[in-house]
Amino acid sequence: MTGLANTFIFAEPMQHYLEYGSVVLHQIIEANKRAGQLITELIGDQATPENTFEKLRTMNPMVFGLVGHGNTDVTSVECTAVLVRDDSPELELFKDKVVSLCSCLTAQLLGPAIIDAGAVAYTGYKEEFWFFIGDEPGTTPAVRSPFVAEFEFLAGLLRGKSTGDARKDQMTKYDAEISYWMTGEGKDHENAMELSRILEMNKSNSVFLGEGYVTPSPSAAIPVPAPLIFALAYLPVAWLIYREFVA
Amino acid sequence: MTRELMSNWLNKLPEAEKDLPLLLLEGIAYTPRTAYNEVARNSPTGAKLQALVETGRFGTTISDEESIAKTRLEQRLPTLPDKPLFATLSGKIFTPSQLLEEIRSDSQIGRQWVTNEVAHMKLLVQIR
Repeated sequence: MTGLANTFIFAEPMQHYLEYGSVVLHQIIEANKRAGQLITELIGDQATPENTFEKLRTMNPMVFGLVGHGNTDVTSVECTAVLVRDDSPELELFKDKVVSLCSCLTAQLLGPAIIDAGAVAYTGYKEEFWFFIGDEPGTTPAVRSPFVAEFEFLAGLLRGKSTGDARKDQMTKYDAEISYWMTGEGKDHENAMELSRILEMNKSNSVFLGEGYVTPSPSAAIPVPAPLIFALAYLPVAWLIYREFVA
Repeated sequence: MTRELMSNWLNKLPEAEKDLPLLLLEGIAYTPRTAYNEVARNSPTGAKLQALVETGRFGTTISDEESIAKTRLEQRLPTLPDKPLFATLSGKIFTPSQLLEEIRSDSQIGRQWVTNEVAHMKLLVQIR
């Protein structure tokens, strides 16, 4: 069954350093969500495998996003509880959906298995996803930056972009974050060197599989009909004509 | 590239990058700052180093590149506070010294950083 447009589920675990990503994902959802979207965030203890499967079954979202520790054939949720492996029957829950895993190494085996199970698009990483933990989660550009670039894909989908355009936005955001630490305002931060390298590694290991034309939240972008634009443009003229008649 | 453009290149680099080896000429590694000083002196070496920067190269073979990349990381990482600074979404946590051990032992993690360092050096020399 095709996922429901404008419906999103996000798993945001808060232990084992995952809060560094989940806090940023929550902020990005808040900043980019649109009226009419049904968004469920499974935060902290709510991000169990059972709960995630139940939400996937009952809400049938078009987009599933996750922060979790992973390996080539597996990804996990809170307390590193395994969510799916590349041979799990639950992969069928991803059929016709966009699946974005902020998780290490899954592009090697799990990502292709998700596509084979019928997902329309997948994003993830073929090597380690690196992040900086020198400050408290979410508190500084240094700890946020790797995740800000990563979650631009999901931010684009929330704003009504297609999977292909959201992917382009994500790569552009990676370049912007790298420039910030290499030659921009952040270049003389005490860990600028490490941050530019972390972002470069993450960018080069980021993988997109599947279709680029899918738009999971088409109503998020509210199109203005051309006749309405025409009518608005001529409103002042109509007003002048009206005044001439009544004068 | 004029001396002024070489100066602009140096100024655009992060402060901490200016003193790490980057350019290799006749078996000697030069940092951006020492290369600029050679250019400022109008020395023959400076002219050759300037030519490298102009063409976006750092004058090395692939094995030299990896060797310089490792030297850069060996030089940089010990200057950082030795507390957990780096993490991955496969559950690994590293202090700078632990990361350096990965690089020295040529582990998969270490290879990832060295390979990226070579790519990063190419970006640095192409900054305009």
